[in-house]
Amino acid sequence: MATAPKNLSEPLLQLYRINAGSCNGCDVELATTATVASFDVERIGCSYTESPAEADIVLVTGPLTVRVREKVLRAYGEVPEPKITVAVGVCPISGGVFRDSYAVDGPVDRYLPVDVNVPGCPPRPQAILAGIEEAVLLWRARRDGVLPPPVASQPHPEKGAVSTGVRGKMDFNPAACVGCRMCEHVCAGGAIRFNEEFTGLRFTLWHNSCVFCGLCRHYCPTGALTVTDEWQLAHRQDQKYHLTTQGIMPYAPCSGCGELLLPVAPELLRVAFRGTGREIDRLKSLCTECRQKQSIGGRRR
Amino acid sequence: MTPSIITLGPHQLALEEPMYFKVELEGDTVVGLDVMAGHVHRGMEHLVMKRNLYQNITLLERLCSLCSNSHPSTFCTAVEDIAGIVVPERAEYLRAIADEIKRISSHLFNCAIMAHIIGQGALFKNVMQIREIMQETKEAIYGNRMDLAANCIGGVRYELTPELSMYLGQRMELMKAPLDELYRIYTTDPAIRVRTEGLGVLPRQEAKDYAVVGPVARGSGIAYDVRKKSPYGAYDRLNFLVATETSGDVRARASVRLREAQESVSLIEQCLTRMPDGKSCADILPEIPAGETIAKSEAPRGELIYYLSTDGSDMPARLKWRVPSYMNWDALKVMLKGERVTDIPLIVNSIDPCISCTDR
Repeated sequence: MATAPKNLSEPLLQLYRINAGSCNGCDVELATTATVASFDVERIGCSYTESPAEADIVLVTGPLTVRVREKVLRAYGEVPEPKITVAVGVCPISGGVFRDSYAVDGPVDRYLPVDVNVPGCPPRPQAILAGIEEAVLLWRARRDGVLPPPVASQPHPEKGAVSTGVRGKMDFNPAACVGCRMCEHVCAGGAIRFNEEFTGLRFTLWHNSCVFCGLCRHYCPTGALTVTDEWQLAHRQDQKYHLTTQGIMPYAPCSGCGELLLPVAPELLRVAFRGTGREIDRLKSLCTECRQKQSIGGRRR
Repeated sequence: MTPSIITLGPHQLALEEPMYFKVELEGDTVVGLDVMAGHVHRGMEHLVMKRNLYQNITLLERLCSLCSNSHPSTFCTAVEDIAGIVVPERAEYLRAIADEIKRISSHLFNCAIMAHIIGQGALFKNVMQIREIMQETKEAIYGNRMDLAANCIGGVRYELTPELSMYLGQRMELMKAPLDELYRIYTTDPAIRVRTEGLGVLPRQEAKDYAVVGPVARGSGIAYDVRKKSPYGAYDRLNFLVATETSGDVRARASVRLREAQESVSLIEQCLTRMPDGKSCADILPEIPAGETIAKSEAPRGELIYYLSTDGSDMPARLKWRVPSYMNWDALKVMLKGERVTDIPLIVNSIDPCISCTDR
């Protein structure tokens, strides 16, 4: 496991957990970072405290329910400055699957300043540790009144080591997408958006709202979406809205009338017809209207 | 002596979730209890009606992360019932495997916290370390340590290749000795027995009156287990014993959980040997007609009931559920009465309360 640069004169930084109405997944994973040797926060110079007044770093889980809001803000207020806040899991970051409820008042950064986000549902303990390590760097910089060190471009080699099969962030292949929007339809977190633009259809996936369930991949008819094992996604707050995957499916003119249409992906033809022939190739470049006209006008039965 | 009233929150009770109690005390003895709930209320019954049936598979998995597989699998069972979908036999076994894996992890987490409350720090870490075997297994097979994403309407969306089946079998073998050892420690260790025997007793009659379910009921001598009483999925083809105890105390409930974890290991092994080849999911995009139904299952904390009503669209017309912790909470009034204030955390933990399920 990775360790922060050890400085023996630095005392252990105290972590304080606040549950802002979570499903307990992230909280159980936080418990493993206090008990399981290989994920122990003491390895990165931290320890847990039950008292907000002793804390240096605040870990928030949950989407911030209306009922718990005042208690959360009170506990947060008791933590002395300088303090760094880490949002653990997609719920505090964006509301995740609980967005749009009358009972949810998040995201958390509407009410208190968040410094580090750790996406995941729940994040692996390794990802939580990476987020805490980032928070430690920011805390020291804030205490010393200096600018925080720039973000390392490459993740620590040890951190990138993944066990196979981890569900990490989704990847998107625009060449295989047919714009059926099934992924948008099944996404519980509302992480996927399609926008019709002048030149094409734009696909946007925001990883801070994605719960990594892979349902979009399951229902995608052409395999345009894939689950990668990239789980190392902890980032600073200024990167929050940059954590997206985008793709454009450019429109092409209809070979009959020239109207713009979304071309048929070869993956769809494979699924629908197993293979393609000359006739299919000709028809696929036509818009619906031209296709109708040609088949009716072409050969009268 | 005039009673005094104190408020206890998650930090005093060693709870992972925000739940507050108003406890009425005479001296240091509990005479009354009021639960202040709703902190994890996320408006789930409202949310599920704004999401379509597919989105709800993922949303319901986040109802609670400790029993996260029971919710989507029961929900999918309800949808399948309305649509008349026959789940392939292989999928029934794969669902049972996912449920039992979650049960072992959930029970071990509860027993770990129990050791923590008693002040047995080394045992706490030891149990969490054993639980890691299960966590690693979940991550290797399903890709996540808590939310398995195993279910879809018509079956499951994960596959156990021969290699993964072998791996799972090996992992179960790894669990056997530690689980036997934990059962021995939790039932015979003098330091644990002195704290848990005769504590927080829920007599059989009161257990019936409060309609408690799961390990809380079975610890009070009521052998009610949905998997046995009204078998669903593959459970009518699997052999297992319903663990019961008669003393109804904290020790009894822990003992039931640990024996259930042992049974779960055996259930997974049986599934691996008996599971037939074939499809793991029926039709991928079935039509869901209008209708209503009830589905139930045995979640780690007890009987879980889903009511689903559909109107022919892909949005549920109504979705409601009764979670096991709901009844078990209420029985705390009986368990806590006359106990010392210092024992409250241990007794509360012994019902394995799931606040996110109850508050939803």
